[in-house]
Amino acid sequence: MARARRLERPADSPYPAGEKIVFQFEGRPVEALAGEPLAVALLASGTRIFGRSIKYHRPRSPFCLHGHCSGCLVRVDGEPNVRSCQTPVHAGMSVERQLGWPGTGRDLFRMVDWVFGDRMDHHGLLTSSGTLGRLGMRFVRRMAGFGHPPSTAPRPPAPKRRLAAPAVVIGAGVAGLHAALELAQAGLRVVVLEAEELAGGRLCDAGCRPGGPAETGWAARRELLARLTARPEVELRTATPALAVYGDQAVLQVLAAGPCETLALEPERLVVATGAYSPLPLFENNDLPGVLTPRALDRLVCGHGVLPAEPALVAGDGEEALGLAAALVERGVRLAGLLTDRPEAELPAALRDPRVPRVAGHRILRARGGRWVERVELAPAGKESPDLVLDCGLVAAEAPAAPAYELAHHAGCRVVFRSAQGHTLHVDDEGRTSHGQIFAAGHCSGAGSAAAARTQGRRAGLACALSLKDDATLREQLAALR
Amino acid sequence: MGKCIVCQCEDVTLDDLEDAFEHGFRDLESLKRFTGLATGLCQGKCCVAHAARFLAGLKGGDEAAADPPRTRPLLRPTPVRAFAGPEELSASPASQGEKR
Repeated sequence: MARARRLERPADSPYPAGEKIVFQFEGRPVEALAGEPLAVALLASGTRIFGRSIKYHRPRSPFCLHGHCSGCLVRVDGEPNVRSCQTPVHAGMSVERQLGWPGTGRDLFRMVDWVFGDRMDHHGLLTSSGTLGRLGMRFVRRMAGFGHPPSTAPRPPAPKRRLAAPAVVIGAGVAGLHAALELAQAGLRVVVLEAEELAGGRLCDAGCRPGGPAETGWAARRELLARLTARPEVELRTATPALAVYGDQAVLQVLAAGPCETLALEPERLVVATGAYSPLPLFENNDLPGVLTPRALDRLVCGHGVLPAEPALVAGDGEEALGLAAALVERGVRLAGLLTDRPEAELPAALRDPRVPRVAGHRILRARGGRWVERVELAPAGKESPDLVLDCGLVAAEAPAAPAYELAHHAGCRVVFRSAQGHTLHVDDEGRTSHGQIFAAGHCSGAGSAAAARTQGRRAGLACALSLKDDATLREQLAALR
Repeated sequence: MGKCIVCQCEDVTLDDLEDAFEHGFRDLESLKRFTGLATGLCQGKCCVAHAARFLAGLKGGDEAAADPPRTRPLLRPTPVRAFAGPEELSASPASQGEKR
């Protein structure tokens, strides 16, 4: 397995990175590029285990790198549970890992995982006597938990601000940005809330081809953001996740936390474009460090130019896995295999090269490795024993996306479930949810592709604008999109 | 035997879901309460989708997973300092909102 290394950073990468700086990781100096996410800097320096899981103390490492999973939590400058994938690194930062005894890297509690090889049924464990139960509880409290309380003085409370705008868009991905643009072009003031540091959603992925093979996500993102920031009606707030939407009050209320202030918004209309989360598929040891989602690996390798190990196995039939595989090939990253059932004609051009080791008709049965993935065992469809073992240092495995329905669900919008798409927000053909003031577009309402998200976003933006002001031109534009 | 992890935050495995199903917890809300999935740091961003497909598969239909577990804000772990403090909400200068 190769060591972590840095590739040449692409000049057009949307991710900012500054000069070389040094920060402290568990008492030793580590080099990084100022402003890159701390998790990326740690992976580049060869850190493989970020934390330990709560019950079995299995090694944990970030698998999503989009601020959703719990794999990247570390202690930063005395503050526990900091999401390192969403925290820009700076000179002098002091970083430690949290769980495990004597340390996170080597953790004796890991034995729990081996003792309870199949599973530990904690519902029945140590319940035969009260004394035993109390003893067990003390032990469990010691080994689980989330690190130690902060060792520094608490930071001052964040200022609170009320922001007024007729329309709020949650999520600055493909759908959200297009909805905001339509609202702005209709002359309406709109606040866009984006949880991440960078707007663009999947347009930030090198493997994204929103308008067909000729258009890259990065170029589409630049163009779209330029159009949006040129509009005085738009206020784009990044690193500001929406935390709650209250839809049962007289006025719609949105609560969001920015980097320096807490926001309360009371819009007349809301467009929810929260996208989707990427889960890992289910196979044995799918939580082994080195197993990531395709979007995580795209961000790490293509966006930041950090390759923690080689070669990579990419598995999946969807846009994200195939886009990533093509982007890796274009960057000269060695592939251990491309596991896909898609016929050759449907693959991106870079993947039709006979040197790309394609495997069809198989699925991942299990990942193997101690502290990081070393190989995967593949089994033919319907079989439970492997007939193919591939050595690899990275696995990017795609599972059906999990639409981010929760904010709108809490606000009272109807959610439907279909096995193919998961839970999605129920919308009509103009993006209206079951709540009269809330619209939804993009992945959270079932759009499968970036192209579909674009159309849905425009439609929801126009319908939302029309519900605020009746206008013949808007009506015509909306009709043309239906 | 190794473990197939459904929820990384709470170490819930596929076997745990099967056990819970055997115990009669056959909807998402009670699966969540029995196994602890979706109660960790990520608040169910990935595991609910797995659990839903698990239920739909075993009970043979999408109807079995129709109701997601109750959503409760806040949607992500947030430091108390975001809400602490005596300050009043101040209206943004550019906004038309009124100070309460």
